[in-house]
Amino acid sequence: MNPSTSRFFLLAGAALAPVLFTGCETTQGVRNPSGVPVTEMRPDERGFVAGTGIESQDLVTVTDKMARSIVGIPQIARAQTPPSIVLEPVVNNTRFPINKDMFLTRIRVGLNRAAIDRVSFLDREMMKTLERERALKQSGQVTASANPNGPSEFGGADYFLTGKLEGLATRTSQGTGDYILYTFRLTDARTSRIVWEDSYEIKKQGLEDAAYR
Amino acid sequence: MRISARILPPVAAAAASLLLAGCETLDEPAARPTAPRTAPLGDQRLVFTSERDLVLAEYRLAASALRAGNYTDAREKLDDALRRIGGLVSGPDDAARRARGLFTAEREKTFIGEPYERVMAYYYRGLLYWRDGQPDNARACFRSAQFMDSDAESDSFKSDYVLLDYLDGLASAKLAADGSAALARAEKLAKRSLPPYDPQANVLCFVEFGRGPRKIAAGEYGEKLRFKVEPSRIRSATLTVADHNLHFLPWDNLSYQALTRGGRVMDHVLGNKAVFKKGADTVGDLALVGAAVAADNIYKEKRRVETDEKGRKRIVREEDKSDGAEAAAIALGAIGVISKIASAATETRADTRTWDNLPQYLSFAALKLPPGEHPGILQFYDADGRVVADLTRRVNLTVGDPTKDTVAIFSELPR
Repeated sequence: MNPSTSRFFLLAGAALAPVLFTGCETTQGVRNPSGVPVTEMRPDERGFVAGTGIESQDLVTVTDKMARSIVGIPQIARAQTPPSIVLEPVVNNTRFPINKDMFLTRIRVGLNRAAIDRVSFLDREMMKTLERERALKQSGQVTASANPNGPSEFGGADYFLTGKLEGLATRTSQGTGDYILYTFRLTDARTSRIVWEDSYEIKKQGLEDAAYR
Repeated sequence: MRISARILPPVAAAAASLLLAGCETLDEPAARPTAPRTAPLGDQRLVFTSERDLVLAEYRLAASALRAGNYTDAREKLDDALRRIGGLVSGPDDAARRARGLFTAEREKTFIGEPYERVMAYYYRGLLYWRDGQPDNARACFRSAQFMDSDAESDSFKSDYVLLDYLDGLASAKLAADGSAALARAEKLAKRSLPPYDPQANVLCFVEFGRGPRKIAAGEYGEKLRFKVEPSRIRSATLTVADHNLHFLPWDNLSYQALTRGGRVMDHVLGNKAVFKKGADTVGDLALVGAAVAADNIYKEKRRVETDEKGRKRIVREEDKSDGAEAAAIALGAIGVISKIASAATETRADTRTWDNLPQYLSFAALKLPPGEHPGILQFYDADGRVVADLTRRVNLTVGDPTKDTVAIFSELPR
């Protein structure tokens, strides 16, 4: 091999080596190749995994606002006896399937925590269990602290609390946008009059990577 | 040794290509991780599924589970898949960014599927919500499904699933709301009148038949995503139950939906990759030929006649080395090799991972039945209207909880 051939080999080898080894590096350009450790976040915090849908921070914000708003209305703040409220399922009219009970459950928890002496909730979810228990007491199969054959002591509702989620979705080449209007209302069970209503709106936009378009 | 110099660049290029080929990952099926990890969703069938293929595996398992009547499994898989695609379609994604790079294949991105596949994930989840007595969440799924179809290239093919709009309206009617707008949209898409909503109908029958589209990579470098559509043997079905004889004609055709989506942004990216690959290859060819020519001219043989002291003549050969030619050979050789390597390493192939157990046609009918067991016969028909006997089966509709509709899903596909 003459000197020029040897030099060619050396130069070509030196140029090729980094290129070849770079190609073999399987995690090159991969951010967090070993994953991301579990991160504890506040539920009202926007996480690094986010979409344009209904998320925990929305739930927290909306329900906190509603609980604060309800507790200040005269029908509750100035009531002689704490009014009884029954929760009715929220209607989801958006494009996002959700666990609807979470909204009312969180509002109820917020009100019970902040104003338990001013409002009471009736547990209609437990009605079947309560009726069965009452029947057991009436039949004498279990003990009773009061006369089980007396008039029913199950409470009636003074108000119904419910809500509705409405959505408007837009999609263009510029991205995806979702607007959601959360409305909640308190309806007088006797008069059907809406005694309180409040709303919250959230709009989110995003654009997926070109690889998915 | 001059021969060695001439053949060196091509040999180096070939060797480099071979070495790089060793770095390439497998095409189909996706490479399995060597070490088992914790199975996603605790399902051992997913233990060897890579993260980027997880949604695809969940789609397939969910469809199989639905047909097998394993609704809990189907629900679990679809929920996880939809959670994943929900996060990906509305924000930056590292895997997708890499897939746009020259040297990473499109199939390296996290699979979420083409719009018609995402539509079907939402559609199936909607059926399960309805089955669970949550028509408003079902309606949300149908709306999301229709929304997934809204990025077709042509406006006339955007959000054009008849069944999704029809079910959107039916869910509204069931919820004592107004479903007429959705029904009008569905009829406009279907170009015919559809059955009016009957809120009292408590049994919803969903029938699917035919095989869904397959993805193929076309073009010189496989950079074009195309669909292979096989004509379905089955064109309609009937369900005879109690006094009802329901006729199922196609409401939606997934092959049509796949074909009418139009060009993708990613097609443009892959097209650019193909242009680069071809350009780099051509540059490599030219540079290597140039290197060979230059290498051939490094040493020039000179012949001269010498006369010795006795007056005898002889031919003397000498080699004259050209430093310029040598430098040119080295430079062109290096350029050629690097260009060839870059061309070989450019990944242009379109992602052909397919949700391969989807049907081609979707159909629907609703009826009212009293509580109890209702045996029936399901029959499928070919294009000539003849019964396909091997697919005829006895079915049983169970109407139980009066607060929930009975949702029956029948498929020609076995799994």
